[in-house]
Amino acid sequence: MIQPQTHLNVADNSGARELMCIRIIGASNRRYAHIGDVIVAVIKEAVPNMPLERSEVVRAVIVRTCKELKRDNGMIIRYDDNAAVVIDQEGNPKGTRIFGAIARELRQLNFTKIVSLAPEVL
Amino acid sequence: MAFGSDASSVDTDDMFDDLFKKHGKVIYRSSDHKSAAAEIDDDAESLSFAVAAAKVASEVKAGDIKVLFVKPLVYWTRFFIIATAFSRPQIDAIGTKIRDMAENKYGRFAAGDSKSFGRGPAGESKPNSWTLLDFGDVVVHIFLPQQRAFYNLEEFYGNATVIELPFQS
Repeated sequence: MIQPQTHLNVADNSGARELMCIRIIGASNRRYAHIGDVIVAVIKEAVPNMPLERSEVVRAVIVRTCKELKRDNGMIIRYDDNAAVVIDQEGNPKGTRIFGAIARELRQLNFTKIVSLAPEVL
Repeated sequence: MAFGSDASSVDTDDMFDDLFKKHGKVIYRSSDHKSAAAEIDDDAESLSFAVAAAKVASEVKAGDIKVLFVKPLVYWTRFFIIATAFSRPQIDAIGTKIRDMAENKYGRFAAGDSKSFGRGPAGESKPNSWTLLDFGDVVVHIFLPQQRAFYNLEEFYGNATVIELPFQS
């Protein structure tokens, strides 16, 4: 359940450390974003000497949420943090590696690039 | 009472022994698992498709084509094909040719790559600097040289077996 003003961790090595959601992309009046949704976010904290800087506006895909993700087979996945991966306008990730486990739903949502860079897929 | 419980425990032990002999160690198994023979058949089919796709890519002059057997590393696919194209039109050409070949010869369709977020329809947009075709068990990555060096997928999947391609030797 990510909404504008939610702070998220960054699950890649793009150089951003913390994001704040400012808009959910997709529908005009959507309240919450879930795993696999694209959001517009602002970088709240960044690693020094990296291409991405604080207060830059970027797009990101949500890869982990504290809110449970339910599958049709009854499986429920809940992570400890809210995390996102920074992408560019083309949908390519800005970092080269993803950290932590991600859900396989991202592949169905056509984020196979993120899945193929991830160390673990649940 | 004691005798009765003993007898029942013997019964259950026998029952478990029988079950164990019959089914081996795994008592429960989800229905999407396949037998080893079926797995090998599927692997062979995927391999033939992967090699065919790599051949198509080499016909369109893609550079440095690698076919990696990644099944032991990731569960979600079997083969990666990594190829370099030197311009965006060439990426487009390779993608279209592989899609056509897959559709005509193998009856497979690629899931749209990650361009479909937002508003655009899946897979139908301008060629991307990293274009990805997802055929389920075979995933094709087509990079521009710069992006290939940037993402360095071969290093990430360094433990995967590289498949020898017949047309490269």
